[in-house]
Amino acid sequence: MLEERIYEDLSVVRRRSRTVFWIVVALAGFVLAYYWKVQVLDHAKYLKSAEANRTRVRPLAAPRGLILDRNGVVLADNRASFKVSLVRENVKDADASFAAVSRLLGLDEKTLRERVDLRKDLPLFEPIVVADGLDSDAVVPIESRRREFPELVVEAEPQRHYPNGSRAAHVLGYLQEPTPEEVRGGSAKTRAGEMVGRTGVERQYDAILRGDDGSVIEVVDSLGRVQNEQGHSYPVQGGTVKLTIDDRLQILAEEALEDREGVVVALDPRNGQILALASHPTFDPNRFITRFTPAEWSVLITDPLSPLENRAIRGLYAPGSIFKLAMALGGLDGGYVTPATTVYCSGATEIYGAVRHCWFAPGHGSMDLVDAIKNSCNIYFYQLGRRMGIEPIAAAAGRLGLGRRTGIDLGGEKDGLVPNTAWKKRALGQDWYPGETISIAIGQGQLQVTPMQIAALTARVAMKGRELHRPHLFLSRPGPDGADPGGTASDLAAAEPGPAPFGEAAFASVIAGMWKSANDGGTGHGARVEGFDVCGKTGSTQTMSRESAARLAQAGHEVKTHSWFSGFAPRDAPRIVVTVLVEFGGGGGATAAPVAQKIFAKFLEIMTP
Amino acid sequence: MMMVDRRIFQEIDWVLLGLVLLQALIGVFFIYSSSHFLAGNYHVRQLIWIGVSLVVLAFVLAIDYKFFLALAPYFYVLIVAILAATLVFARFVAGTKSWITLGLMQAQPSEPAKIVMIIVFARFFADYKSAYVRSSHTLGALLIAGAPLGLIILQPDLGTAMTFLAVIGGAFILAGLRKKAIALLLVAALAVGIGGWNLALKDYQKRRVTTLINPQGDPRGSGYQVIQSKIAIGSGGFAGRGFMKGTQSQLRFLPARHTDFIFSVIGEEAGFLGVFIVIVLYLALLARMFLSVSQARDRAGVYIIFTASLLIAFQFLVNVLMIIGLFPVVGITLPFLSYGGSSLVTSFVACGLVLNVKMRRFANV
Repeated sequence: MLEERIYEDLSVVRRRSRTVFWIVVALAGFVLAYYWKVQVLDHAKYLKSAEANRTRVRPLAAPRGLILDRNGVVLADNRASFKVSLVRENVKDADASFAAVSRLLGLDEKTLRERVDLRKDLPLFEPIVVADGLDSDAVVPIESRRREFPELVVEAEPQRHYPNGSRAAHVLGYLQEPTPEEVRGGSAKTRAGEMVGRTGVERQYDAILRGDDGSVIEVVDSLGRVQNEQGHSYPVQGGTVKLTIDDRLQILAEEALEDREGVVVALDPRNGQILALASHPTFDPNRFITRFTPAEWSVLITDPLSPLENRAIRGLYAPGSIFKLAMALGGLDGGYVTPATTVYCSGATEIYGAVRHCWFAPGHGSMDLVDAIKNSCNIYFYQLGRRMGIEPIAAAAGRLGLGRRTGIDLGGEKDGLVPNTAWKKRALGQDWYPGETISIAIGQGQLQVTPMQIAALTARVAMKGRELHRPHLFLSRPGPDGADPGGTASDLAAAEPGPAPFGEAAFASVIAGMWKSANDGGTGHGARVEGFDVCGKTGSTQTMSRESAARLAQAGHEVKTHSWFSGFAPRDAPRIVVTVLVEFGGGGGATAAPVAQKIFAKFLEIMTP
Repeated sequence: MMMVDRRIFQEIDWVLLGLVLLQALIGVFFIYSSSHFLAGNYHVRQLIWIGVSLVVLAFVLAIDYKFFLALAPYFYVLIVAILAATLVFARFVAGTKSWITLGLMQAQPSEPAKIVMIIVFARFFADYKSAYVRSSHTLGALLIAGAPLGLIILQPDLGTAMTFLAVIGGAFILAGLRKKAIALLLVAALAVGIGGWNLALKDYQKRRVTTLINPQGDPRGSGYQVIQSKIAIGSGGFAGRGFMKGTQSQLRFLPARHTDFIFSVIGEEAGFLGVFIVIVLYLALLARMFLSVSQARDRAGVYIIFTASLLIAFQFLVNVLMIIGLFPVVGITLPFLSYGGSSLVTSFVACGLVLNVKMRRFANV
């Protein structure tokens, strides 16, 4: 009806126009289909991206658990470490602010400006750390003047602290940030900057000591500016670990070494609990927390005296005359000698075509096993060694736990070595020479033991082989209410299975010799404590490896023997074993025994009400 | 000039006008949602602009389009002069010189230039009655379009230049191009495209194109906008995250939220449902516009309706494809919904021209 009014034919252009419209409709249909795919089919994926976009998890560090000695003395705790950050967004007048802040923090203004300039690419609202590692005293003036300094933010983070500095450092160990490999390995999830136990108890019981970090889920905008908090979980402090260490003995053990390189181990033979473990030289584990400079670290790890090494479990030494205890037990048990067997010492003897000397040149004369131990007579044990031969000697040493880790609850313990024919063939490709047996018989040659092995051996002797306990440091894990969840402690304290290695009679003879050594003018008389029936054995190792000699020369020492003492007290109901090693200390009786004496005396004082 | 009598007033397509206003008001809601945390009261300003647009629209309706056609040459000279002046006087804003400052206001002369081109082409092709255009005619049309197009390319404003090309192309389609001519134009377009890529396009424009192909290649740079926009749209799901509850827009991850990317905000907060409603409303509006060609009383009216409709349809399609990563980010707004006075007035005027032609279908000259 409209057509007649139109005076030109527009049908072609109208048709084309409609065609274009339908193309637009088709395209819009395609658009809708694609939006359906993105919004409905792939919705979950994009929703996740949106969430990831807007939330940021900020961890809240959990303090590590306490480490206590057996009486509750704190060996490791935490203190608040404060860091002060500057938020440039809140700075009104840059010059005035820098001047005031530098006065407040006691920083010179140039340093302050440098620290801020270093991070100047950060958004203005992002705090820049200008001072960290501050203690609470240092932040009091800042906190009290908060209103004057809106640009400063003070944050606290728990930081491991060892209140006694280097005391028991080798027991406690130290913390370090995990290496990139460890982080990638992902065995334990760690927060950025979190430190983990690297050695000692800190490492062994890291799982207990490490707390559960809390976190704040923050909602941020596209610039990373925090809008609000979405969730908050509080950090939970790690569990407390109570050690078998007695801080009083530990202090004494460290003092008694008097800055000589060496080891003092004191343990309870009835249960294997280690009462003191000192290794010198030592280090301050607090230094690991505040982070070394590369130079400091380099000095520490290249120090020829290796202060980081725990000599008690990682130092390998020839046992010297201490080994005579193993010889005596093996000899008696194997029937090579009886307590009545005597040997005449003239100061020297010829065995296998070589002249061997006793340490006491005039000679000890004729003596039985007990006196041979008391006097630590070499000639007696040369003869015993010759009678026994290497295999029974190695077997006896093995049955007493030498040349094998004690299983103490510390990482990195070394095995040492008890050589025998098969070992020499395997390791050196050579046959065993009988002459070597004679050196082994007095604890020299290729024998290598750790002081902890000697302490464990002494504990076996003290208990006459009836009980066998693994030396350990873990006493208990007090819960929040003081209760002990148990588990680890009972496992560690349990006596190890297996029959007594030697008959009680053999032990009795050896103990008699050890008692005489300390109480009847023997080599160990320096360890004697009135009224405590100390039994002990001294040792002085005469040889050293070439490597040790080189190390020694580097440290500028004159070459002296290592000085050993290991003993227990009291004789009839042993309660403490003390093992002392002083590197290059000279004779065992002269140097190591008096160190042990101090420990025995202190122990007696502590235990006597 | 002809006065509006009652009869003509009754012929106004109120449905079309209603759809336009509905879209504009939906736009205001989402402009508010995406900019309420910014200073500037963009939603209020947009409402004012809607009012201004309606006044301009009324003015456009009051005058017979024949009069506009008669003035087409003057409009043409004026807009070319303004575009040239813009190029000389405007300061660089975000790498282009497309804005001029008029007292307190800023305006983009390239927006009214689109309207001028609609009228100029309608006048140019009105007398041309055969089924296909001749080459002399094609050349003439290209020359007419060339001056303003060249000035816009020089700004450079890629989006507007593309819209221009779409309007020109649409006019040719309507006029009827032979297959040979289409082939020739395609070859020419390809040549211009390759030449332009190497010689004329700025780095940021090239990046926008490469970003389309691989947005993750530069997630912090030009890919960022598309990635964030897609996350916004996808996270909306079917029903959306709720008005003013979209994290992408509220936390400002989404770029140009109230302008070019307003549809991403709708996708995030109103979900597929919102997207569907807006697109269907758009199609209803476009149907109402395109299909009114049957009511135009003359050839010039058909051209006006068609190119004005195409102007809206092209910007709509490019915008919704662009924000979801199917088209380079070229700075084309979503007509009626995006914040912006120039764009809003231009879109309203384009609709006004369609209404103008439609309401005068019985009028005799």
